[in-house]
Amino acid sequence: MIIAVCVDDRMGMLFNHRRQSRDKFVIDDLMNMAENVKINGFSEELFEDYQDRIEIDEEFLENAENEDVCFVENVDLEPYADKIDKVILYFWNRHYPSSLKFNVDLSDYNFIEETEFQGNSHEKITREVYEK
Amino acid sequence: MKKIKLLLCIMLGVCLIFGGCDININLNGGDTSTVSNTVSNTEGGYTVDNIPDFVEDAFVEINNNVPYFTEKDYTTKSFEQYGDLDSLGRCTIAYACVAQDTMPTDKRGSISNVKPSGWQTVKYDNVDGKYLYNRCHLIGWQLTAENANKSNLITGTRYLNIEGMLPFENMVADYVKETNNHVLYRVTPIFDGDNLVARGVEMEGYSVEDNGAGISFNIYAYNVQPDIEIDYATGESWLSGTAKPTAEKITYILNTNNHKFHLESCSVAKTISDKNKEVFTGTREEVIAKGYEPCGKCKP
Repeated sequence: MIIAVCVDDRMGMLFNHRRQSRDKFVIDDLMNMAENVKINGFSEELFEDYQDRIEIDEEFLENAENEDVCFVENVDLEPYADKIDKVILYFWNRHYPSSLKFNVDLSDYNFIEETEFQGNSHEKITREVYEK
Repeated sequence: MKKIKLLLCIMLGVCLIFGGCDININLNGGDTSTVSNTVSNTEGGYTVDNIPDFVEDAFVEINNNVPYFTEKDYTTKSFEQYGDLDSLGRCTIAYACVAQDTMPTDKRGSISNVKPSGWQTVKYDNVDGKYLYNRCHLIGWQLTAENANKSNLITGTRYLNIEGMLPFENMVADYVKETNNHVLYRVTPIFDGDNLVARGVEMEGYSVEDNGAGISFNIYAYNVQPDIEIDYATGESWLSGTAKPTAEKITYILNTNNHKFHLESCSVAKTISDKNKEVFTGTREEVIAKGYEPCGKCKP
């Protein structure tokens, strides 16, 4: 499967069960790349403009198949590492508190590309793509 | 874990009045009628006396990360309130309902003319940016655009500023920008007795429109700097593993009117009228602890 994750400068994803940050342009960017995206209910509010292109499933990572794109905010990814073929990382380029970290070992992947763009509320967002 | 023996100087007691709006420093987990010198939550069993010594994390969670705001505090009308300095010149509290209309629209201004209590200009090679102390905004500039507001600036270590406080400010700022919602935001410096430098700050945040779904935290951030020792009474500091500089007893001339102190040889000291002049022999640390500031000319 393909996962898309937002992280801060310390690879943090979440603090106190809440997202560290959000930016409308990240979702737009992801939806420009993916026809459909699987999420869990936690992320639904971010995809208001794309209701017809998301699939909400609380076990989306368990159920995802090879080419499925999963946007992940609040799930420990380590148990799914073997299933992840491609990683799309969005860096906020900011530092937030974090209690859940991105913990997939990227040394097992090949770096494919890096792109920077201005966010809706972030000065600079960096998108990095890794593939097995 | 070893406990910090904080004899909390709670700056404002339980309740401060700012222009008719109650600001509750809720020391007892919801009971705002009881004055206490420890922060406690009777349900959670939390007390600030139980805050562990700093080890490696820049902050610890308080009250399971639930802020002490109550329903009567919830408002979608933005405001900013800054408590008066106390008798020792220390910041007391800063409280705001942060929204897009409290955020900066102009460039950041200079704050270098403010000297918060315990302020010292001191550099170390092992501190990011060299300077041990920053003028730390209680409520960050990016949230309420306060520049040289002495009621909103404390003497804080670089570590407190960057590792302890900034991440929470960033999180709140991003949330407000993206949602246009309001966030209740309160920062309370915690001083130990008459110390001039805070041991840490309590930071609380709560997003109003979504009932805390977006933002909810209550943490204590340590005012420490790894590998540096700090005398919180005065702000003096030294490298860990080295001896604290010994303080020399000196005779100073005090101006009891403007609370400046001078060397005996200072020409300014010779112009002080007898009724405002006092001779004091002791350490520099002691005279600063009495609330005096060094003369800008003789720089005692």
